[in-house]
Amino acid sequence: MPNKEPSLCDEKVFNDFFRKHYESITRYIYYKCGDLQQAEDIVQNIFVKIWNLCEKIIYSKAKSYIYSACNNLLINQIAHKKVVLKHQKTVTDNSNHESPDFLLEQEEFRIKLKQAINDLNFKEREVFLLSRIEGKTYKEIAEITGLTVKAIERRMSKALKELREKLGNHIKI
Amino acid sequence: MEQNYHTDETFLARWIAGELSDEELAAFKKTDAYKEFKRIDEEAQLLSGPEIDVEKALKNVQEKISTPTTTSKSKTIQLWQKIAVAAILILSLGFYLNSSKTYSNGIGDNQTIVLNDGSEVHLNSNSSISLKRFFWSNDKTVKLTGEAYFTITKGDDFKVETSQGVVRVLGTQFNIRDRITFELKCYEGTVEFSQKNMSASPQTLTKGMQINIENNTVENLTFQEDSPDWRNGLSKFEAQPLHLVLEELKQYFDIDFETENVNTERLFSGSFEHNNLDLALKSTLVPMGITYELKGNTIILTED
Repeated sequence: MPNKEPSLCDEKVFNDFFRKHYESITRYIYYKCGDLQQAEDIVQNIFVKIWNLCEKIIYSKAKSYIYSACNNLLINQIAHKKVVLKHQKTVTDNSNHESPDFLLEQEEFRIKLKQAINDLNFKEREVFLLSRIEGKTYKEIAEITGLTVKAIERRMSKALKELREKLGNHIKI
Repeated sequence: MEQNYHTDETFLARWIAGELSDEELAAFKKTDAYKEFKRIDEEAQLLSGPEIDVEKALKNVQEKISTPTTTSKSKTIQLWQKIAVAAILILSLGFYLNSSKTYSNGIGDNQTIVLNDGSEVHLNSNSSISLKRFFWSNDKTVKLTGEAYFTITKGDDFKVETSQGVVRVLGTQFNIRDRITFELKCYEGTVEFSQKNMSASPQTLTKGMQINIENNTVENLTFQEDSPDWRNGLSKFEAQPLHLVLEELKQYFDIDFETENVNTERLFSGSFEHNNLDLALKSTLVPMGITYELKGNTIILTED
């Protein structure tokens, strides 16, 4: 049974593993700390550690190991900064009322939205971003954070409610 | 039908995940809040996180792996550890080389120690000597507590440190008794005694000369015998107060005295042997007209 699992000591396996998970882990850590450089350093250091411990780490457990290891490392050096979010250039919104007025309102709204997301409690922010931007399911988020799905749903709902409280007035219907 | 997102704390999360029932969704869509939530959700999904260059990061990691993590920080730590270990070793070696060796006798014990230079120290009961473990020959000094008889081989300076001062010798035989009272007897050759904290020039003793110190008073005496009585298993007294006799008994037998009912200033002349407590008590206390009673290790004295 153990022989069937790929070994992380195999460089090809390690590289594939890295490519598969690096981005999403780094983003996750970034959403927690708001410092991309810090997030990349943390995650890279953990991957180095994984390589050094490759014989001891079971492939199927490696992903959750990395998430919790990065998390622990971050807790040690946490200094929350603002999360910088960008709007994708490719606007999928092709509704027919793109009046200059509307575009101006949209621009303003987007700024407010980013602000409001940053103002969320970091627990809710983390869940919200993982769900909406990273497109992760609640189950995946629960695995990453070590919480129950129910707790994730609660945080997600709370995040949405708070965003609406802050932004409701700016939405013209 | 009501605004479920107020009452159900997972309602909105389920809506996002598309898990609401048709009924719930239909009802939710009718509310104003729905449109606001929808807008927020749509806009949020248009946001993106930071761009991350995975290949560059992988290169970074590969570089870190190929150059083992001996950072300068850990190097300096290792260096400091080495220095600390070396310092501790040197210090402890120094302490060890400078350390003393102690020979001690319990009550009733007796032993003879032969020193490196052939000198002999006959250590009496309840006494100890200590001397340097190494390089002793460079500075032949012995610290004495209690009583000992020295037979010193001729040669370099030999010193005995006592609580009352230093005895310096050049090949001789002498006895030092440093207990409640101090007594130095020279049996052969010459010894020189420098009293502690005294600026007076050292006193020289030759065969048959004796120095006693009691309460800082020095007394010069002479004696006849060829070797200390204790070497023959005997303690002799000539007109000595009883408390000194009792003190001497305590050096050879593991006992204590209760003396509230006797006058310990009375003088005693006589002797006792070290090998039998019962005889020793009889030979000292009976002539003084003192009766005694044993209670464990304590001997209660009463005067008739």
